[in-house]
Amino acid sequence: MDTEDLELSDEEEEITADVVLKTIQNLWQNERLSPEILPHRNDMVECMLGQIQHMERNINKLPKTDLRASIHKMELNRIKYIICNYLKTRLDKIEKYCITIVNDEKQRTESGTNYLTPSEFRYAQEYLLSIEHHLKETILNRVPGNMQAFEINKMAIVPALQSHVFLKANETVNGIVLEDHFGDQDEEIDLEEGSQHILQYKFIADLVKNGKVQLV
Amino acid sequence: MDPYEIEFIGENRIASIIPNFSYDKIYLICGEFGPFRAGLPMNVPLWLAVMLKQKQKCRIVPPDWMEIDNLENIKEEEKRSRFFTKMPHEHYMVEAKLILGAASEDIPNASEIKTIIKDIWDIRMSKLRTSMDALMKSGGSYGRLDHLTMMEINSVKPLLPSAMNELLKIQMTSKKSSSATLNSSTFSQSGTSQNL
Repeated sequence: MDTEDLELSDEEEEITADVVLKTIQNLWQNERLSPEILPHRNDMVECMLGQIQHMERNINKLPKTDLRASIHKMELNRIKYIICNYLKTRLDKIEKYCITIVNDEKQRTESGTNYLTPSEFRYAQEYLLSIEHHLKETILNRVPGNMQAFEINKMAIVPALQSHVFLKANETVNGIVLEDHFGDQDEEIDLEEGSQHILQYKFIADLVKNGKVQLV
Repeated sequence: MDPYEIEFIGENRIASIIPNFSYDKIYLICGEFGPFRAGLPMNVPLWLAVMLKQKQKCRIVPPDWMEIDNLENIKEEEKRSRFFTKMPHEHYMVEAKLILGAASEDIPNASEIKTIIKDIWDIRMSKLRTSMDALMKSGGSYGRLDHLTMMEINSVKPLLPSAMNELLKIQMTSKKSSSATLNSSTFSQSGTSQNL
């Protein structure tokens, strides 16, 4: 796991619920706006789910007509929306870029820098198997033998890392190199804290992952 | 992202209300608020302010920036400057829309305020279109957009990013095809020589 992200709180043991909530909201926003799947933060999600359960137990103790109950419920619904949408966005990406993600994830697992949670990885592999199975059942087994091979890598959809994204710098990062695709002239820019830019995702992918910039 | 999602994010801003009931502090996940004292102003998240307003349990106190004089200044400044000026905050449009929508009777001169904010928005959007046009014409694949708020940025999505993506594709294929035309011209030359 990347330890850099834990800088959000000075004492990671004592991280408060509102900090966890803000973190999840930023994760959700980044996940929605980045072309590729980002490293999971299951620790944050689990922590918030625990909070929600705890809160729900307390709400049940309140009388139904209590104003506080409806306020708490409203807040919980808002948080649940963020978490559901965050997880769904990840699943959408897993399905869309399934082959690429499974391949990359196998390498990442070897180096211990996995992006998917174990259950997401299982889902990705099973999804891939079902596609393969489906294609074999419906098409490949019915065509001439020399065309039956399932050429998985030819089917892979790769996330468009060169696509342009909007970002806001959480802290100053100097010397981002905007490579020129033709090798003519590279441009170098600085991201000052609080400044906003539009540029290709691939140049700042690492900064999104370590929280130095926020996609907007 | 959907504009409603930007609104959803903007709803986490803190707004000031005057409740008409009294209650103890409330401990939410996003923080603690209260105690509620009837008639005394206090801070709550905007979503809660709107919710209480809908239940007729409070009045919403408009933020300082939503006063006509301040807004006139912002508008003049925005007109004068070639660049985007700094807005009162990241979600000014969301805050204005929600407060004016849910509690226009709590705000003196609500309709004038609405008009000025709309003017400011329009000036900024027209600037944004001009700068997008300039950015595309210069063929750039990088731009700096300080002081644009999330809703404004979102309003040019997916147009600007995808236009820039397309531009990039064109640049890459034209680069490729220019080297390809070199090849094909030599090829056609050899072709004609064969014909001869």
